[in-house]
Amino acid sequence: MNQTASIQDLQREIALYENMKAYRALYDILSDSLHRFSYAFVESNEAAEEIVSDVFVKLWQIRNRLIEVENLKEYLYIVTKNFSLNYIAKNYRNPVVSLDDIDIEAVIEIRSPEDLCISADLIKKIKQTIQELSPKCRIIFQLVKEENLKYKEVAAILNISVFTVRNQVAIATKKIGEILPAYLRPEAVREKGFGA
Amino acid sequence: MRYALRVVRYALRVVRYAFQFIFHFSTSHWYIFIEIIVFIVLATHMQEEKLWLLISLKLSGEASAEEMDELHNLLQDHPDIGLKLDILENIWKEKHAGFLEGKGDAFDRHFQRLSNHLSDPVLQYETDDSTAGIKPVDDISGPRKKYGWWILSAAAAAAVISLFVFFYKGTADTKKTDHETAQNTVSTKPGSKSKIQLPDGTQVWLNADSKIIYNENFLGNVREVQLTGEAYFDVVKDKSRPFIIHTHSIDLKVLGTAFNVRSYENEKNTETSLIRGSIEVTLKNNPDKKIVLKPNEKLLVHNDDFSLVPHESSARKKDEEVPMMILSKVHFQEKDSVATETLWVKNKLAFDEESLENAALKIERWYDVKVIITDDKLKKVQYHGTFDDESLQQVLEALSTSTNSFKYTINRKEVIIKPL
Repeated sequence: MNQTASIQDLQREIALYENMKAYRALYDILSDSLHRFSYAFVESNEAAEEIVSDVFVKLWQIRNRLIEVENLKEYLYIVTKNFSLNYIAKNYRNPVVSLDDIDIEAVIEIRSPEDLCISADLIKKIKQTIQELSPKCRIIFQLVKEENLKYKEVAAILNISVFTVRNQVAIATKKIGEILPAYLRPEAVREKGFGA
Repeated sequence: MRYALRVVRYALRVVRYAFQFIFHFSTSHWYIFIEIIVFIVLATHMQEEKLWLLISLKLSGEASAEEMDELHNLLQDHPDIGLKLDILENIWKEKHAGFLEGKGDAFDRHFQRLSNHLSDPVLQYETDDSTAGIKPVDDISGPRKKYGWWILSAAAAAAVISLFVFFYKGTADTKKTDHETAQNTVSTKPGSKSKIQLPDGTQVWLNADSKIIYNENFLGNVREVQLTGEAYFDVVKDKSRPFIIHTHSIDLKVLGTAFNVRSYENEKNTETSLIRGSIEVTLKNNPDKKIVLKPNEKLLVHNDDFSLVPHESSARKKDEEVPMMILSKVHFQEKDSVATETLWVKNKLAFDEESLENAALKIERWYDVKVIITDDKLKKVQYHGTFDDESLQQVLEALSTSTNSFKYTINRKEVIIKPL
């Protein structure tokens, strides 16, 4: 299903008819992604859930003006970012100036695909590599890889240029790619420690 | 890649100048040898950087066709990286499953917070039975707002009950009209416009305070819609399935055309302007009479008693003896390829030799205001003009100065027009 098209339909349903079913459907489509995004900033599940809830309360409050929002998904990500940064500022008392100033606990799934059986060691190494990326790079990588967002959307959400997104994703890909084994012999993989 | 090579060449030129400066001679065998080594090192490095960029673009679904080709070519020189790409692609496919174990629970908790936030909560919203299951549960109150708990649970209980009432009422209603499939309605409020696409691809621009309804089985043998208000249609051609528009006074049958229909119930006339193609118009109270419009023709049907009276356009001046139906030409603005009748689609408010009374109705819908004209004679004054994204005050100012016949006051959402 074309997700953007259906978000647009739901947006119209909510804006014009205050359709609660559409509101619920929108929550179901986006809450996980927004939760992960918020979690990357606030590093707490409870806080992230509350922030996402606040975002959807706001969405309901402005439902009559919703038709004016051009890209609702992008908009909700931006509101989530702002709420998360407010939360950090309020709880840690140091206002966030730039994305590189805060620690980002990126939520990036690295699991061994079954047909490849990459060793546990290698997975650990990949995770460590991601941890060593810059905070900005990590959050960009999360949005692109986990949420399948377009570079243009990521740029708008994080208020950076598309060029930066493109570069940072290339950096992340290269760093991870370089620690991967150049060739993969199944018998060698099954013996532990291949990637070390 | 071309850019990268240019950078390399530039770097080499710098290196050459440096050598020239230091050794004061321009050609030497070992100097060329060094140049070649530097070139190879730089080029390999650039190529690898480029390769990772292309791989990242492919993984993110951002690579263009050319970039995919380039990647394919580069990978032939780097089979080892091709294998890495396979692994990366698999890693990329794995997605985070989400933190929330029971998504329903999270929504319920959210819904509770939402109702706490709003003064006019859940009661009037229709919903399905899954959200009707919201009950006051112990663990949702949390550390916040302990004091209002009992009131909240009472409100939530009332909400649950009324949701069930709504739900049952809803099912009863749909059963009654079971033969009619579900309807889709799109409507606009005064002061706003909307553009929609129907399931067959037909584009509809909906002017302010208008509504279009179509059935779920829209894609059947006939494409039928119901319209109140004003809309511009660009109908996708499909000879096997005619497109029919019902208004309260006329029905329009088309195959594939672009045209504007204006059918507000509080206006005297229903107006159809054809831009291209052809349409067949049937009067509701006289189905035998059919009129076929040709491009750039405009049909006016009087709303009170919509019968067929062909007439010349000169009759428009006498408002009292308005004919039941007028066929005329679509009006074009000078230096403007767009017909006046469809200017609203381009976000222009246009009056086409219209009485102030009619213009006021347009203004009401356009700016979401109420216009009161205190003098009957004033209502008949004719106006002509186009406004491109101008404010209510600018429009009123222009109208009042052009004829110098009225003064106006704007009071929030109310406009009062008085004779001078």
